[in-house]
Amino acid sequence: MKNNRLGNAIRGLTYTLDLPLVMLLFFTLILFTLILIIPLATLFLKPLSVLSLRILEDLIRYPYVSIPPLGEWYIVSDRGEYKLIIVRFKDLGVIPNTILVSSIVTLLSSIIGISIAFVVARYDFLGKGILRIISIIPLLYTPFVNAFVTYKIFGDGGILGSLMLSLGLPYSIEVTYIAGTILAQTLMFWPIVYLNTLASMMQIDPSLEEQAENIGSRGFRLFRTITLPLSLPGVAAGSGLVFIFSMEDLAAPLAFKVDNMMSISIVRAITGSQSIEALSVEVVILAGLLLLSAISWFILIKHYISLKQYAMLARGVRWKPRVSKPSLPTLLAIYLIVFPLVLFSMLPQIGVLIYAFSKSWTGVIPEGFTLEHFSNVLFDSRVLNGLKNSFIYSTLALVLIIIIGTVSSYVISRVSLRGLSAIDLLAMSPLAIPGLSIAMGLLILYGSIFKDTLIDPYINPMFLLILAYAIRKSPFTTRAVYAGLQQVHRSLEEAGFTLGASRTRVLFTIVLPLIGINIIAGSMISFVYCMSEVSTSITVGSLNKSQAPITYIIYDYLTAGYGGGAYIHQASAIVTLIIVVQLIAIITSNYILKFRYSILGI
Amino acid sequence: MAEVILDNVSKYFGRFKALDGVSFTVKPGEIFTLLGPSGCGKTTTLRVIAGLEIPEEGRVLIDGYDVTYKKPYERNTAMVFQNYALWPHMTVYDNIAYGLKIRKYSRDEIKRRVKWALELLGLEGLENRYPLQLSGGQQQRVALARAIVVEPKVLLLDEPLSNLDAKLRVRVREEIVSLQRRLKITTIYVTHDQEEAMNISDRVAIMDRGRIVQIGTPAEIYYNPYNFFIATFMGRSNVLSGVVERVISDKLYEVNINGLRLNGTSTGAKLSTGEDVLVVIRYESFRKADEDDKINVIEGRVERLSFIGLALQVKVITVNGHVILAYLPPREVIDTGAHIRLYVSPEDVKLYPSITGVID
Ligand SMILES: Nc1ncnc2c1ncn2[C@@H]1O[C@H](COP(=O)(O)OP(=O)(O)O)[C@@H](O)[C@H]1O
Ligand SMILES: [Mg+2]
Repeated sequence: MKNNRLGNAIRGLTYTLDLPLVMLLFFTLILFTLILIIPLATLFLKPLSVLSLRILEDLIRYPYVSIPPLGEWYIVSDRGEYKLIIVRFKDLGVIPNTILVSSIVTLLSSIIGISIAFVVARYDFLGKGILRIISIIPLLYTPFVNAFVTYKIFGDGGILGSLMLSLGLPYSIEVTYIAGTILAQTLMFWPIVYLNTLASMMQIDPSLEEQAENIGSRGFRLFRTITLPLSLPGVAAGSGLVFIFSMEDLAAPLAFKVDNMMSISIVRAITGSQSIEALSVEVVILAGLLLLSAISWFILIKHYISLKQYAMLARGVRWKPRVSKPSLPTLLAIYLIVFPLVLFSMLPQIGVLIYAFSKSWTGVIPEGFTLEHFSNVLFDSRVLNGLKNSFIYSTLALVLIIIIGTVSSYVISRVSLRGLSAIDLLAMSPLAIPGLSIAMGLLILYGSIFKDTLIDPYINPMFLLILAYAIRKSPFTTRAVYAGLQQVHRSLEEAGFTLGASRTRVLFTIVLPLIGINIIAGSMISFVYCMSEVSTSITVGSLNKSQAPITYIIYDYLTAGYGGGAYIHQASAIVTLIIVVQLIAIITSNYILKFRYSILGI
Repeated sequence: MAEVILDNVSKYFGRFKALDGVSFTVKPGEIFTLLGPSGCGKTTTLRVIAGLEIPEEGRVLIDGYDVTYKKPYERNTAMVFQNYALWPHMTVYDNIAYGLKIRKYSRDEIKRRVKWALELLGLEGLENRYPLQLSGGQQQRVALARAIVVEPKVLLLDEPLSNLDAKLRVRVREEIVSLQRRLKITTIYVTHDQEEAMNISDRVAIMDRGRIVQIGTPAEIYYNPYNFFIATFMGRSNVLSGVVERVISDKLYEVNINGLRLNGTSTGAKLSTGEDVLVVIRYESFRKADEDDKINVIEGRVERLSFIGLALQVKVITVNGHVILAYLPPREVIDTGAHIRLYVSPEDVKLYPSITGVID
């Protein structure tokens, strides 16, 4: 009975697709299996084989769990003229720290993101257009440095404290350590919730809200009982991603000097390891835990995050969304809370530019405009080599990405066989799987299988890097191509079939010419995200310094010197170059695709 | 010229049975029409023949070969889609030449054949236009040209006229028929318009909810509709309900329609006395009764007259209170409000058992 079903499935597949396409599909599936599924499974299997009570005991001791918590929640120190309030948070150990930070960041990001989305979706006010544009700016990917800017503003001896003093206040505030991490990540990630929620809210049929209003539901009640539940897909997708991004974020804990975080522990363990044997079981388990939390979230939200859902969003709004003039209190809230908050969230991006173009920035005001940092980094052979490596890896990855993206979106949109819906899930999953878990899985699997061969990641990490880039950043292309395929009516292909063209021929002569533009737009986004990929770049990429990609070089610049941050000006200059590339790609691609949301972190 | 046979074909979409044991034979060179209301499975049947759907049960034979599991591009059928499905990124020339390129004809040969098709369909001069720069009628003809230029064994036309305006529809219809007669391609034509079907077909298959309910020449179907559904689907009819009063013969019965007594025929089932029946009488089956007409006469008052060109439509309220519509010769002289006697032959009073459930 079962055999028969499998037989039918395979017969169905070969009937609907041609041999070349079936082969490409298998190629894609094999890539996902080798680069994603098996390495991630190894994360769980490997520790099991050596698991002992001792290791488990270790995992509930310091540094993994710290009982009692160390340090102070906050410190008020009397400095004579004024009181200095240092908000810190206690160190609960690697595991609780990470989970707590991610949860709080997710909660804060959701509150901010949902409120701003609601304001933008439902109210008409002066400056709304500007608000919409600048609220996307925090999403521009500035590997590492933005967190350092947040630290510069809020951290030890930061600009905020200095400003308060210079205003003559009797108090000064510093947000440091874990509290600083939470702040930096919230500023970084709320736009993800905002954009996803906004997209959902724009989809809500206005008549639903109007009906509720007719029967007397108003204000917050209307929002709580109608608008919010209907935008849940966006909220769930956005907040789920924030949770995952926060867990694997390195920038904030680095900048705020938090060592006891899962991401930091994993990266330090890998970059410090000379060979595969040097990796301790505990870190592998950490990477497994990271993955487990991400998967739990993914399962929770998978319902909402499917590619099909996405195409719906991308196709845009069919009705005129309901907007109204805000009442005076709402208007005040918009200008006094929303705008400052959004501007505030841009500070890290602005700070990156300030660092990149200023001679020094030690006090409140940066000093001396200069282009020196740019010329310095552009004459640094390590930087040039890193740029060259990243460019080569990203280009090669792009070839794979185009195959993966085209084949999987084609299969998802055109073949309706049971079981194939899993491909939708698989194709989108890299968005939600922590890159650090992938890096760890790849290393422990292929580090031992291919030890001392040409493709040993400890000797030539570039092969794994290219494959990891391809898998991790393929969803952006898959999504864009899928949106394009939705616009191509099936009968256009079928007309080709009945005239004697095989599926492959139809793909090349009819489908690809019609969706070529989507492929180009999607691959530009994928390319940019490959160039700025962090997780595998600074781990796997660190194993052979001559093959390190540019993000590792930035990481290295920032962590060099006492306490890190010594070369922030140079790092900012590199990041500024990357921002320019991103802007060009994103604007062009949005222009081509005519939908706004390709920038979304998801 | 190829023969097409569908043998007991069933097609499911999930649990839904879109085609239910469809069987028919299309003779070489004929125009065979699938006629039925929207959603009855006509397009699905064409798609099964083209290979765009695989049936769960049954077989499809083209020219004697079983092609049930052959891919669309191995069948040499050409389909004209309801939306034409012209490729927007190719010129008219490239659209038409597509199938020829696949068949690896030489460049000159392709040019010659495309030119032939362009002339045949009156598309000369448009070869460098893109589909979006053409009118609906022109697009339709390009789609047709693209299909016939490859000399398919079977031409499949899915409601080819439905996107054209009424005037153009008649013209393109005539063009399709004369083209088919000249090329003698076996053609399967799909429509939900019974007039269109009668007009162009050699034979018609009536479909209802995934099943073929009757196959025959247009006249056969028109005069002997096999069931109530077909009878009401073809032409305009009065539908009345009555009871069988007397069995005269296997075919001939006397029915009582709430006081109105008529003799009528049953084409399908045998009926028995006392059985409830549906009575279907076409508008054009009536004539003014003579003195000698004693039976099958309906008497009533002329309620309303409308002149519709081909006929004079008369609305009659019978003495028993029935409302009857009848077409009489257009030059007939009748006054509104006058008493009228109408005769209808027993052959034209069609009787169907009312319990067959076809009335929903
Ligand atoms: N791909 C499909 N999936 C599910 N149902 C379908 C599909 N194609 C057709 N159907 C259903 O099958 C029935 C017959 O459809 P179709 O053959 O298109 O009818 P027609 O062409 O006579 O209007 C309809 O009820 C339609 O909804
Ligand atoms: Mg149809």
